[in-house]
Amino acid sequence: MSDIDVHHLAAAYALDALDQRERAAFEAHYERCDVCRADVLEFRGTMAEVAGALSTPPPPSLKDRVMADIAVTRQLSPSLVAPVPAPTGRSRGSWAMLAAAAAVIIALVVGVVAFNGGNDDDPFNDELAAVLEQPDSRMIELDNQSDLDGMFKVAWSPSMGKAVLMGENLPVAPDGKAYELWLISGDQSMAMYVLDTAGDGQVHRSVPTPAEPTAWAITMEPVEGSAVATGDIMFIAEV
Amino acid sequence: MGVLRPLRARHPEPVSVDPDDIVGALLLRAGRGDQSAFGELYDELAPMVHGVVLKVVRDPAMSEEVTQEVFVELWRLAARFDGTKGTARSWASTLAHRRAIDRVRSEQASRDRNDRDAQRAVAPHDVVAAEVETTLDVARVRRALAQLSDLQREAVELAYFGGHTYREVAVLLGVAEGTVKSRIRDGLIRLRDELGGEA
Ligand SMILES: [Zn+2]
Repeated sequence: MSDIDVHHLAAAYALDALDQRERAAFEAHYERCDVCRADVLEFRGTMAEVAGALSTPPPPSLKDRVMADIAVTRQLSPSLVAPVPAPTGRSRGSWAMLAAAAAVIIALVVGVVAFNGGNDDDPFNDELAAVLEQPDSRMIELDNQSDLDGMFKVAWSPSMGKAVLMGENLPVAPDGKAYELWLISGDQSMAMYVLDTAGDGQVHRSVPTPAEPTAWAITMEPVEGSAVATGDIMFIAEV
Repeated sequence: MGVLRPLRARHPEPVSVDPDDIVGALLLRAGRGDQSAFGELYDELAPMVHGVVLKVVRDPAMSEEVTQEVFVELWRLAARFDGTKGTARSWASTLAHRRAIDRVRSEQASRDRNDRDAQRAVAPHDVVAAEVETTLDVARVRRALAQLSDLQREAVELAYFGGHTYREVAVLLGVAEGTVKSRIRDGLIRLRDELGGEA
């Protein structure tokens, strides 16, 4: 899907008029796109006015049921509001997670793939939808700690044992180098995948998850892949 | 490509709310576990939330269920409300619409519903009429909708009220997907300008 196509989905997105696959693809894009974010915000404000004109009070009994429900419903913590908050001084700590775990590294999948996602016959879209349909699925955006543009999101489902990686606006890796995805589970770092981007800066890839992730990270490694991370952490999200 | 800089931290912006956003203020209090604030919030938002859900879902009993789900979710998520990303009312209407859409899509929209929607769409001024509650808002919104071209209005209505994806709307209207995408976009820009002008 080209950038222009993605931008033009903002209105349809604000109307919830995208199917699940396009919704996920658009969400991966718009958080890093000022234009789309502003558009969605505005369009939602507009539709909120339309929504106001639809006002129809529910039966009064509904309030009792809602109040009874919320009295026994735990609220989510506000600390998760932040889009992957990054504690200060994490540099060393996070790195330690990768480096100190060298002895127990499991190199899982090492291969180099250029992948141009977004078209409809694309098996990736089905894989992403399948993961997102799982009740225990989660999606997280990795904090970009490099000075490069671009973003990564990972969606995964522990019950399926599968994760999908989405990257957007990524610079092509320098000659002889490639991005590498790491799954960190407790004190283990697992090399998950080595990837390069196609010319359009997008990466779409699904990988098995052999363990429950406690963090996801991306480093720059030699193109043949590393079993032990050697580059700085470029993107990371703690789960 | 540049050299990688050492890690830098990004701090979230503090949660804030527009002082004029009464609903947002209630939501913040609700986020701290204040059930009575949530009760007031319910009174403020229930007609809108229920109205959106009913419009999309149609079935009254199912609409009540979905409305209940939406409010429980608003309660669960209240502490995550971020006033810098739109008003609380907008957040609630987005959530209400999304939940209604999820419900109708999981119910596998029946053929009858599609047919009825297609018929509704060609009667433009019927759109909001059935749910008239706050007549001033309704008149404004209806006037704004009337400024859209027929195709823009049909596309927006089939998507937002009918709960169809833009691809489904293209089939219903017998036009190209790209055309629907751009009509939806043009229509929303027009609506925004019309409504914004009178707000
Ligand atoms: Zn964009």
